[in-house]
Amino acid sequence: MMENQDYLDIKGRVINIQRYCGEDGPGTRTTVFVKGCSLRCKWCSNPESIKPKPELDFNKKVCKGAAECGICLKEPFPQGAFYVPDGEDDLVVPNWDLANSCTEELASLCPTGAIGMFGKVMTAREVLDEVLKDESMYRNTGGGVTISGGECLLQPDFTAAILRGAQESGIHTAIETAGNVPWEFMEKVLQYVNLMLHDNKLMNPERHKKWTGVDNKRILENFQKAYQTFPHVEFITRTPLIPGINANEEHIRAVLEFIKPYKNVIDYELLPYHRFGLGKYEFLGKVYELKDFTSPTPEMLKQFRAMIDDAFGRTTV
Amino acid sequence: MNTKKRVAIALGAGYTPGINSIIMGVAISAHNMGWEVVGIRDGFEGLLFPEKYPNKGLIDLSPDSINKLNPLGSDAMGTAASVDPFNVRTTNEYGMIEEEDMSDTLLANLKKENIDGVIAIMMGRGLSILHKLNLKGMKSVCIPRTIENDMAATSVAFGFNTSLSFSIEMLDRARQAAISSKKIGVVEVLGSQAGWLALQSGIAVLADAVVMPEFPCDVKALAAHLKTKITPEHPHAIVVVAEGSTFTNLPGTTKIDNDDIKKALSPLANEDDSEFVIDKSGKAAKVLSMALQQLLADEVYPLVLGPWSRGGDATAVDRQLGLAYGAASAKAFEQEKFSTMAAFVGSHIEFVSLIEVLNKARTVKADNGFLNVARALGIYTGA
Repeated sequence: MMENQDYLDIKGRVINIQRYCGEDGPGTRTTVFVKGCSLRCKWCSNPESIKPKPELDFNKKVCKGAAECGICLKEPFPQGAFYVPDGEDDLVVPNWDLANSCTEELASLCPTGAIGMFGKVMTAREVLDEVLKDESMYRNTGGGVTISGGECLLQPDFTAAILRGAQESGIHTAIETAGNVPWEFMEKVLQYVNLMLHDNKLMNPERHKKWTGVDNKRILENFQKAYQTFPHVEFITRTPLIPGINANEEHIRAVLEFIKPYKNVIDYELLPYHRFGLGKYEFLGKVYELKDFTSPTPEMLKQFRAMIDDAFGRTTV
Repeated sequence: MNTKKRVAIALGAGYTPGINSIIMGVAISAHNMGWEVVGIRDGFEGLLFPEKYPNKGLIDLSPDSINKLNPLGSDAMGTAASVDPFNVRTTNEYGMIEEEDMSDTLLANLKKENIDGVIAIMMGRGLSILHKLNLKGMKSVCIPRTIENDMAATSVAFGFNTSLSFSIEMLDRARQAAISSKKIGVVEVLGSQAGWLALQSGIAVLADAVVMPEFPCDVKALAAHLKTKITPEHPHAIVVVAEGSTFTNLPGTTKIDNDDIKKALSPLANEDDSEFVIDKSGKAAKVLSMALQQLLADEVYPLVLGPWSRGGDATAVDRQLGLAYGAASAKAFEQEKFSTMAAFVGSHIEFVSLIEVLNKARTVKADNGFLNVARALGIYTGA
């Protein structure tokens, strides 16, 4: 037991704490999604995690309409921020450009909860308390806690504090990162990490910039430094596989070549592009820019996974 | 009293044919009042990042340069993908991407360039952005432009006639193809929330049915109507569908429950992964043609006009409208009718309060005259 846990007083921005996850590391895990990302990937399925500050969301399914409620149609809400469009019902919809100026305090005036905020400020201690609820499950399944995002390394002190607390309780720790942060941020967190899951979205710098907003020079440098500086940390690299963007043999080969010299990179996973986050774009009043892309076919996945198995000396099933 | 002013023209996101005619209308009218007119490059980008552009992000719209403009085109000022100075994507000192509120920079640079106000050619979200800038003290008059004609208060927005003319031409061609191949063509036209383009073009080409966002389409009822139209002597049909249309009574649809997968991959995911959510352009034609195919013996095929309708040269009507909107807006600026939008009402142009129109859409009502025309011609509308 730690004598001094003042470091857990640090605050951070959290979107969601999800228990019983099976995707983000070994065993059954709790995944903490933090808010704020330093990339703008056009295929992002977690748009609520992009902006660092809490932001408005609107759930039209619980709105009771102008006649029964209508609070958001009057002051103190900004004029025009919410309105009733022509139609059969009198349900309210937001004008996102005007409604986004609503504060958390203003949003709380909505009696139905239709107007809410994505993201809340929590202390590392509060997060850890949630994580520790499933301590026995982690031990039974070999699971632990994963900090995901957004980009968890944008809040390095907060992320490090949660992971440090978890490790001091004997819990396996993992992070998911895209790596676009100053090296100092990554270094600070990796001290408390058992497993780092990280993306290799595109290996070509220009194409990386086109699809994510920045080139990959610093990202790749960070990963190489991480492999070398933290030999006891395990790394799994991942590619969100999107036909037309990176679902090709050339990319898979380039990633395999990149990780080849490092024994602590234990696997390369492919994440088939999916569109499950699309509904959330509407929830947030954002525009999804990649709407005409399709998921990779099973045959495509099988072919690329066979390449990876071959590189790792495994037999493809 | 006529005080000399310096006015800037700003152009919202998206392409509409013939914008140059609006620019000419504003500039010539303003020059006649002794004012100076400039254009802001690429939406507001020219004044947000003046260092990236020649002439500090401004375009000379003097009488000499105006004389060289082609009134059919839209190439005078450039466009931006987004015209939201409240959310400008930038890279911070740590090399990370973030959105920055640069509205104060825009207002400061307007002042620095001695620009008294802005005549903004906008649609959609652009109206809300303009309203926010007005609240911060910017003087503006808005000119409506949308090829879907769905902006409230005005009976005709700039760009609609050009798109309508093109759609009619394409539908005529689709009809010829349907006749020669003895098939049913389902042609998707633009119109995410209003069916004006579908309705008016459908009437013009004597389509067999028109489907609009305002009236959810009962697919089985539509199929029953088409069966009455398709005969051995008339073995073809044309259905015009607006892209924002919705459908009821779709045959053979099933829902796959994959909530657990969704939550694992994307927390808080709340909607289906289906074609109804994703492929906006072409979705309506695809869904409707597949549904009709299951209900009809004849072959049904989808066609999508989509973005083709946004290009080309302006029609005579839009050329006149552009000049009229431009000239009237310069006059409104002189009369200090700020925070307003030009609207074509009856046979003249009025200026309506921007806040009164920005959350409204001009949609096809059940008692609209065009619907009566369609009914009289035997065109199915479902209304």
